[in-house]
Amino acid sequence: MAEINDPRFRVVGPGWKEHQPVIQKPTLRKRLKGKPIPALILLLLIVAGCVFSGRLANHDPAGFYLQHLNQAPNSEFYFGTDSLGRDIYSMIWYGGRISLSIGLMSMAIICIIGIPYGCISGLANTRVDAIMMRIAEMASSIPNLLTVLLLVSVIGKQNTFTLSFIIGITGWFPLARIVRSEVRQIRSSEYVLAARCMGISFPNIMTRHLIPNFVSSILFVVISSISSSMSMESTLSFLGLGLPVDVISWGSMLSLANRALLLDTWWVIIIPGVFLLVTLNCITSLGNFYRKETNKKHSNL
Amino acid sequence: MPENDHLSFLKKILLRLLGFALTMLILSVVAFCFARCAPGDPLQSFYGDAVESMTSEELITARTRLGLDAPLTTQYVRWIGNAFQGDFGLSLKYKKPAMDVVSPLIGNTLILGLTSYLLVFLLATLLAVACALHEDSFADRLICKIGTAIYYLPSFWLGVVLILIFSIHLKWFPSSGAYDIGRARDILNRLRHMVLPLVVMIVSHLWYYAYMIRGKLLDELRQDYVLLAKGKGLTNRQIVWKHCLRNVAPTIVSIMAISIPHVLSGTYIAEAVFNYPGIGALSIESAKYHDYNLLMLLVLITGALVILSSMAAQTVNEVIDPRMKETGVSAWQR
Repeated sequence: MAEINDPRFRVVGPGWKEHQPVIQKPTLRKRLKGKPIPALILLLLIVAGCVFSGRLANHDPAGFYLQHLNQAPNSEFYFGTDSLGRDIYSMIWYGGRISLSIGLMSMAIICIIGIPYGCISGLANTRVDAIMMRIAEMASSIPNLLTVLLLVSVIGKQNTFTLSFIIGITGWFPLARIVRSEVRQIRSSEYVLAARCMGISFPNIMTRHLIPNFVSSILFVVISSISSSMSMESTLSFLGLGLPVDVISWGSMLSLANRALLLDTWWVIIIPGVFLLVTLNCITSLGNFYRKETNKKHSNL
Repeated sequence: MPENDHLSFLKKILLRLLGFALTMLILSVVAFCFARCAPGDPLQSFYGDAVESMTSEELITARTRLGLDAPLTTQYVRWIGNAFQGDFGLSLKYKKPAMDVVSPLIGNTLILGLTSYLLVFLLATLLAVACALHEDSFADRLICKIGTAIYYLPSFWLGVVLILIFSIHLKWFPSSGAYDIGRARDILNRLRHMVLPLVVMIVSHLWYYAYMIRGKLLDELRQDYVLLAKGKGLTNRQIVWKHCLRNVAPTIVSIMAISIPHVLSGTYIAEAVFNYPGIGALSIESAKYHDYNLLMLLVLITGALVILSSMAAQTVNEVIDPRMKETGVSAWQR
């Protein structure tokens, strides 16, 4: 029999109410923790600048200001002018449109080819799967740049679409490989089996059952393919194989870098490069946010 | 049985050679089709603007002389037949046999590529070990952040900036070429020319591989034998260097095998930025000038280089890790 002054019990009056701790809403700061906010803000700023380039630019980006060749950054030309007398500040915003849209279009092409290829290969029987993966392996064993060079030299003069097509069509192998391994893991789960038994067509299985289940694990690859495509575009334009100088993108602005080296005009090289670099890094850190943390286990060391 | 072993070894070598031949064949067909279906007129690039002033008869004889009039299959058979005798046709830009244009440059590319390849993996392993030893410390996190940022630096831009700083302003290193004129045998001179391209190669590839190796090492550190080694009284350094790294070595070698095309692409860009006379700079140039005979030869050479070196890496892998032999799985199945 428990005594009256047992510490486990308490004598309370009639008006007693149990104390309810106030559930604190997580503060804004806590909710934002671990999310790539600075990168997101910077990226939004850059994208907004490119979208509203008409408002921001204070000169005609395609205009040649022949009295002001190779001017260092000053109050009229904020980022200086290049060896053709074009205003770099205005070109940055207009060029960003092309660079970003090439990144996005290449990403779309990579997804359109890579995801179905990986899904087919993952669902098919062992032999078909082996052949499909061998093909992808063989294609990716040739240096990416060389395939691009071959295609570029075949197509000849480039525009935004052909360039994104070339970058996309040579860049889908890693995505296909990851999609395949993800599909392999879920291919024998009940819902996929049920769907296949009911005779649902392949595109339906892919869009309804497969993609929703692996989208989170390929998001990182998809997002970082934007930045690698942009990087590829600028490399090609720099080498003189991408966009011509009169189509303004960050890459084609950098294609004047060799001439700028001779003239020792650093702003022509540094400024577009810094914009490119910052954008690439912002996109990547957004992508990294979606990357799965693999080992949470404690180290034995 | 040793004899049986011997036979299967021979068989494996034969199979590999067959695979090599098949890949090269497919590659040559693809390269050939690309080159011949291209819109750029090879006559135009061979004769330049003189094409426009030629009569139609002259054009026809020129076509016959360059072998452009036969059907595609005949052209291919003729081309591959000549290729076996080392004749890859005339370079349309240099007006010399393509092989003569390429052969002096292969050595330069191999020197640059191989040196940077070895340095990248040496430094990547060291960096990975350093990171793994101090996992989650401030230094490790800092290195991870900086590494990711640097990895997305476009390598051509890095090269241009390095030229701007080190060869134009500080005048420490030359900005282009593989050696000064007439000093091809001077090793010091070559080294001075190689410093900047090597820096570009290392910076642009290092973190990608260091991060991969770091991940593998961290997985390895979570194995039970590490606990045993710890209990035995080994220091962290000893555990990582003597036990973990040895277990990760086969993975590093297979990463090295897959990485060859990637590193070679990097060499091409570095060569183009620094005007380093190698097959990379040459293939970019020939793509620019629609010099298909040269480009096809370069594609074949690069393909052969990549395939042969990944075969070599696979063989090394089998020697250091016998487990690979039995399963024989390739990289994508693991």
